[in-house]
This record gives sequence, structure tokens and C-alpha cells, in this order.
Amino acid sequence: MASFEEIGPRSPVTESIRVDKVSPQARLFKNLRAITVLVLALVGLIPVFAMGVTALKSRADVVAVPPRIVFEPTLEGFVFLLTERSQLSGAALTTAQENAEDLGLFERIALANGQRINGPSDFVMRLRNSLIIAGGSTIASVTLGLFAAYAFSRFNIPGKDDLLFFILSTRMLPAVVVAVPLFLMYRQLGLHDTHLGMILLYTVFNLSLTVWLLKGFIDEIPREYEEAALVDGYTRLQAFFKIVLPQATTGIAATTVFSFIFAWNEYAFALMMTSNTARTAPPAIATMLGRGGIEWSAIAAGTLAFLIPVVIITFALRRHLLRGVTFGAIRQ
Amino acid sequence: MDLTIQNGEFVVLLGPSGCGKTTTLRMISGLESVTQGDIYLDGRKVTWLHPSDRDIAFVFQFFALYPHMTVRQNIAFPLQAEGQPKDMIESRVREVVEMLRLRHLLDARPGKLSGGDKQRVALARALVRRPAAFLMDEPLGALDADFRETMRAEVKRLHISQEATTVYVTHDQIEAMAMSDRIVVMSDAEVQQVGTPAEVYHDPANLFVARFIGSPGMNLVSGQYADGAIHLPGSNRYNVGNGWHTALPRDLGGSSEVIVGFRPEAAHINEDGAIAGEVYAIELLGAYTMLHVNLDNEENEIVHIRSDRQTRYPIGTAVRFDLDPEMVRLFNPQTEMAIRREVTP
Amino acid sequence: MSTEVKARVKAREIDESRQPKRRRDLSDRAIVNLFIWPTLVLLIAINVFPLFYSLYLSFTDYSAIANQAPVWVAFENFGRILADENLWEVFSTTGQYVLFSVTLQLLLGFGLAMLVREKFFGSGVVTTLILVPMMLSPVVVGLFWKLMYNPTFGYFNYLLGFDNPSLAPDWLASRFAGQPVPGLALWAVIIVDVWMWTPFVMLLILSGLKAIPDYLYEAAAIDRASSWFQFWRITLPQVAPLVLIAVLFRTIEAFNKSFDLVMGMTGGGPGTQTEVVAVNLYRLAFLGQWRTGRASALAYVVLIMVIAISNIYIRYLNKMKGES
Repeated sequence: MASFEEIGPRSPVTESIRVDKVSPQARLFKNLRAITVLVLALVGLIPVFAMGVTALKSRADVVAVPPRIVFEPTLEGFVFLLTERSQLSGAALTTAQENAEDLGLFERIALANGQRINGPSDFVMRLRNSLIIAGGSTIASVTLGLFAAYAFSRFNIPGKDDLLFFILSTRMLPAVVVAVPLFLMYRQLGLHDTHLGMILLYTVFNLSLTVWLLKGFIDEIPREYEEAALVDGYTRLQAFFKIVLPQATTGIAATTVFSFIFAWNEYAFALMMTSNTARTAPPAIATMLGRGGIEWSAIAAGTLAFLIPVVIITFALRRHLLRGVTFGAIRQ
Repeated sequence: MDLTIQNGEFVVLLGPSGCGKTTTLRMISGLESVTQGDIYLDGRKVTWLHPSDRDIAFVFQFFALYPHMTVRQNIAFPLQAEGQPKDMIESRVREVVEMLRLRHLLDARPGKLSGGDKQRVALARALVRRPAAFLMDEPLGALDADFRETMRAEVKRLHISQEATTVYVTHDQIEAMAMSDRIVVMSDAEVQQVGTPAEVYHDPANLFVARFIGSPGMNLVSGQYADGAIHLPGSNRYNVGNGWHTALPRDLGGSSEVIVGFRPEAAHINEDGAIAGEVYAIELLGAYTMLHVNLDNEENEIVHIRSDRQTRYPIGTAVRFDLDPEMVRLFNPQTEMAIRREVTP
Repeated sequence: MSTEVKARVKAREIDESRQPKRRRDLSDRAIVNLFIWPTLVLLIAINVFPLFYSLYLSFTDYSAIANQAPVWVAFENFGRILADENLWEVFSTTGQYVLFSVTLQLLLGFGLAMLVREKFFGSGVVTTLILVPMMLSPVVVGLFWKLMYNPTFGYFNYLLGFDNPSLAPDWLASRFAGQPVPGLALWAVIIVDVWMWTPFVMLLILSGLKAIPDYLYEAAAIDRASSWFQFWRITLPQVAPLVLIAVLFRTIEAFNKSFDLVMGMTGGGPGTQTEVVAVNLYRLAFLGQWRTGRASALAYVVLIMVIAISNIYIRYLNKMKGES
């Protein structure tokens, strides 16, 4: 058989590529590569699948040995997670069972375990706290960061580089160096275990991220637009609101989501600075272990509920991902 | 394209951007695949051979020097990649460095060099392997104008001293004319003409070549052929020479439309000249003067005429000029091809 | 003045006279102040001030739950720290954690980046899929890996082929078939850390790989460089700065952020096998005897270490950048 050099590729070449990339050997490598990556990606995602699957298992299925891959899905885990129940027995149990058709889905599942739903569980409150605190701090940090980023981007501020580095360095501190005195401070000021205290804290921590990211985005907007506006008689402020802001919307969106995710995922300070009222979800999930037995399906359901928004957002944000995670230090 | 290049020849692929000259060069080198046809080097069919097996060197427009290596390492790279022994590498590098006068730059990094120096390093890297052929892709394109002329001479000098077969791509027709043994004029992925600089300059094969070669290009004036003469704009009449009388009707068929071409230096200002016009603009270029003459004030047919540097005609002056019959060329407007004149033996 | 400048000044005057009277117009200076100071004030209040307060506390024997005011003890805390054997063990654990985790992330991340750099069918989707672990909350990740690692009903052992639970490794308890295997738990944590952060390293290196211009490889191909030669002499030197940045980021985070992951998975156990510095600090400051002063001292020691390591990295980075 003649070699590749003599007869050329099997099917005609349609795009301009290097000769050595057209050979059957190159094609083979390319396919191998694709398969390897796909396999690795799927293997890497197994834990995520596993968690999703566990959340839908019944209590019995969860602890089955060996672990079941095929099973009957149920919302039991979510019921355990999201509701406060009490055990029924005797007459109350039979009465409830007789009136089964009047009950909603969750109630029916609880009944199957001999329980009655009393109301939402603590976890629901924790989720609410997470939303409030992450949301509030995100709005604050993005707003403040936006103003600061604009100023850093457009003006010559004395010591600008040093200031920017200072802002970045706050990220490098180990949480505990700051946690101890903050804890004392908060206790003094009555901010311990309050929503306001947590929002303030997260705002500050996200500021280093938002200032750097937004400055990067604003740097990319040509100054000529504002200068034209200034010549036309607008004030700086007006130029900022009417011209820079609309152009920076993608950047602001990306930054908002990154801040939200960082605040949403935060655990260490949530653990140290809250106890009950303002406690967010991450510490709550971790402590679900010690409550009358390990409710793995509930924990799995909790983690799932917690992770799904982030997964969705990751997909939406993939193009900005590198920028966000390295604080805009790397331009993509 | 069907082209054969001789040993030691300097062939230039010339044409405007997008005409396919770079693509052709890259196909020869193996950096791009061929959809149809074959490439042979030294009798070997290399159409699908790996670029590294073709025994060629490639000089890129943007130098392609490895930024993290010194000049010395850059030049030594090809030989190191081949696995040559150290002393052989050293002697070759030294040889090439002397040839291109790079000794003082050996330990610098490409980032700190000027464009001209970078290109010399790129040339050194190409030379160090002593390949069978050199392929150069607009190597002087990224340089400043003053550098370009110096480097042009350097490249040509190298070509002669090395007796190296070279295929050179450029869009600058002055470069092509100055350096080449043969020029391949291309446009829209088609070969327009292959010939020596003289051939391409004096006997363009079609309107494109006539316009593209020369600075400014050939004057091309439309006219009608009737009764042995061509009627030009502005009631001018040009009597064609003998050799054209048979060729013209045969080539033009029934049509009488014809295009007269002549270079600026083919026209001579003459009070009794055959063709009349009015000065439209005048360029004083130091060594000579370029007159823009309008043959027809209503239709605006402007030709360029070269005159000696003393001439200073105010705009609007009426002038007359003659055309050197040996230097006049005629073209068929429909086919855009040159009409071959019958040469009487 | 030249005519040009005169004209420009004249134009400016005309412009200004044409504008409506500016009433509440803020000068540029005012804007800068207004925009920046709130941020700076917040940062100073909640970041800088505690830093100094912490420094002060490190020289005292303060305990946050005791009702006494802090008492100055000068360097006693630091002395105790350096003499504490348990602490050296904690540092060793942390060191192993950082070393192995970062190295593995580097190798895997680099490999993945090399695989993904050229387009192939579905490469966009797959790249996105790979990124998911990076965005999840570390403590939550720790929790569900805890479930995965469960020796009886967790998926990990099952998928690896250990069908019989009594003959399978109990990762988080550092046991195998009933016998203790010291260090197993630490490796279990390292595996999860690698799982989470390899995508980050991959992303970073991938962006570096994509930035290498094609013509360098074309020139190398014509220069008869083998694939290995090209990798060693072109690819590697070009991405080296990014690799260093990746390692820097990951090292700092392994010192600071490992808290979330470890607490979620093992709480520092079994015993102290996975007690990295961050966890140890937490226990010292917020559990047991609440030795606030000592914890502050330890925190400062860690801070100084992190700064020192960062400086070494950055200096190396600048050296590399200066060369290219």
C-alpha cells in the first residue's frame, strides 16, 4: 500500500490546514483526544450525578449496600429537608391515613413515614437568610465597586497602583486572622448574628473582587465616548450614568453573579459570625448531621438545592469564568 | 498554476492582498493543504509530505522568532531540533552570524530588536540549515520604509552569494521588479503573467498587469479603431504603426473598441505632437516632473506624462505630445488581453 | 501662542458660553473622592482595623469567653507556638496537603489543557462541563464527598470495585479492612481538593496555551522540531508565567480556604490527621478554651508565611517576565 505521502488524504481537504494534520495518524490522535476528554469530563462529574441521584432516593435506598444505581425516585429527601414534622401514632395515624386523598404531595410522603407536617423546617429559614445576605451584599459591593472602579479607571489618583494592590491583598488574608478581632468587634457593636452584620462583612469581602473586575471591564470602554459627551456639555456624572453604565452592562452582570456566588458559597465567616438568627445555608447543611440520625437523603437534597443555581449560572457565565476567578488578572 | 522554477532562480509571486500568493507559498511549504494538483521539489513529489521533510526554509512576515530565546538560541534552534552535534552547530551559527553581521546581537532577545534586525535573525535562522529552497512571505512588509531598501539589497546579496533558489511573496511591485529573475503576477487566485521584470514591464499580458506594474501604472486610454487610426478622446487621432494593421482587425473581430497603453516615459512633449491635451495637475518630483494631462475636458481622460525637471507648466496650459511607437501597446477591452503586434522580419 | 492653540482656546470659550449654567456640577476631584472613599472606609474598618487589633491581641493572653480584659504577655504566645510539637505536626499536615494537592492539580490541569486546546467535536460543551466543580461551595462539596467515601453505601468504593465493605478502605477513618492506615484520610481530602480545583488550573493554562501564536509552531515545524522538542522549547517556556500564577493562587488558597473543605469532610479528623492550619486556628480560637490571644499569634505566623511564600513566587514571576 502506498504511504500517505504518495496518495494523500482519503477524503478531499475542505479547509486550509497543515499537511501533517491531515494524515490519518493526525486524525486518529484528534479522535482519541476527543474521547479522552469526554471520558474525563464525565468521570469528573460523577460525584455531582451521585449527589443528584441520592437526593431522590428513599431512606432505605440511600443506605443500601451495595449502593443502588437503579431505584425508584422519591421526593422524600426534600420533604425531610424542608419541613418540620412530628411522628403520628395510634388513632391519629389511622385518621390521617383515612383522609389521605385530601393531602398534598409532601404531606402524603410524610404520611408514608408515619409523620405529619407541622410547617417549614429551619433549613428554609437558612435558605432565606442566604438569599437575603448574599443578595444584599452583592448589590452593595457591586454598586460601591462600580463607582470605585470608574474612578480608578478614568482618573489619575495618587498612589493608584498601591491602593489597587491593597484592595487585592485583602483577599489574601487567612480568614481567621481577621475573624477573631471581627468577632470581638461585632459582639461589641451588637452586629453579631445579625443580617446587617453579615451583609456588611460580605460586602467588604466582595469589594476586592468587584473593584478589580469592574475596573477591567470599564478599562475596555473607550474614553472617547465620555469625552465626546463632555464636549457636548454633559457633566461627568451624567456621562457616567448615560454612557459608561449602559456599555458596561455585561461586565456588571458578570461581576454581580460572581459576587453572588462567592457570598452564597461562603462558609467560614458564616460559621463564626452567626449562631441562629442570621445563619446561612452552608453552616446549616454541615450541621444537619447531628440531628437524630444521619438523614443523607435530606443532606443530599439540601446540597442539590444549594448547588443547582450555581451550576446553571456557571453555564451561563462560562465565557467570563477565567476573568472572574482570577480577579481579572488574566485577560481572556 | 503551472510553474517550474530553476535552480538558483529568484521567483517573486506578486499581487494585491488576497490574490492567493501567500496561500501558494504556504502550499509549497506544506503549511497548507492542496485541494488539487501536485508539488515537486527536486523531482520528488512532496504534495503530502510533512513540512519538515521538504528541505525548505520559511521566512515569515512577522519574523516568528521565539521570544523567550536569545538570538543565538534562535539561530541554533533548527540544528538543535535536527539533533546535530554541538560543534557543528556552533560553526554553522558563527558562519551565518558573520554573513549577516549579527555578532553584536547574539545575546539579545527578539523583543528588544528593531524590525530590520529581527528580519536578519529570521534570515539567519533560515540560512543555517542550508536548505534546497527558501520561501519568503513578505519578509520586508513589517519594516519601515528606509529599512526596507537596505534589507532588499541584503536579501538579494544573500541570494546571489548562496546561489539559493528562492520563492518570494510580495505586494510591492517595486520590490518585485528590483529583486527577481522572474515575476509571477497574480490576481484573484489566478496567474496573470509569468515573465522577467523586463517582459512584465514592457509587454504586459493584460490590463491588470499593465496597471499593477509601474509606478504609476501604464496609461490606458479607450479609443475607436477606424481607417487605420485610433480615435482618442478629445478629438485626438493616433496613427498606429505598421505591425498593427493586420493584428488589430483580427483580434478585435467586428468591434472597433480598443485600449491604447503607454508608460509615462513613452510620451514626449512636443509642440507639433500628434496628441493634444490640457495640463490638469503637475507633480514636481525632484529628479523629474510628472504631468497629469487631460485629453478631454468634458469626459476627463487623464494621462501621466513624464517630463524633465525643468518643465513647469501652469494648470490649464495646452500641451501636445508624441508617443514612441516602439513603446505603445494595444489591448482588447473585451478580453482585457494584450494584442500581439506582428513583427515584420 | 501658536495659531493652533489660539484657535482651540477660542473654541473652548465658545463652547462654554453656549452651555446652560451648570448648577450642581461636581468637579472631577469631588467625584473621585465621592466614588472612592466609601469603599476605602469600609475596607479599612473591616479589614485593616481588625488586622491591627489582631496584632495587638497576639501579644496578650486574652480569651473571648473569659470576662477579663486582655493582659499583655509580650512574646509568650509566639514562644509557646514555636515550642508546640503538635503545631509542627499541623504544619507538616498542611505542608503535605499543599504540596501534593498543588502538584497534582498542576499535572492534571496541564494535561487537560493540552488535550482541550485544539478544537474538536463538542469541545466547547465539554470544557464547560469540566468547570462545574470549581464553582461549588467547598463545604457542601466536602459533605457530599463524605457520603461518596462512606465505606458501606458510598459510591466511591463501589465504583472502584470494592464490592465487600468489610474489605474496602474506609477513607475518612484511615482504615483498610479494619487496619489503620495513617494518612489515608489526608489523601482522601487531597483527592477532593484536586477534583475541585484542577479545572481552575486547566483554565489558566489553557488561556496561556491559546495565546501562543501559531506561527511559532509553523516555524518550528519547518525547522524539523519533533513534537516533544516543540513542547519543551516553545510551549513550556511560554506558559511558565501562567503556571506560576496558578501555583501561587492555589498555594495561598490551600493555606486559607482549605478550612471549608476540611470542615465539611472530616472536621480535622480522624484525630488530627487532616487538621490543617486553618482548622487548627479555628479550634484554638472558637472552640474549647477560646484562646483568642494565642490564636491571633498563630494567625500572624501563618500570615507572615503566606506573605513570604507569595513574595518568592512573585519575584520568580517578575524574573521570568523580564526575560521575555
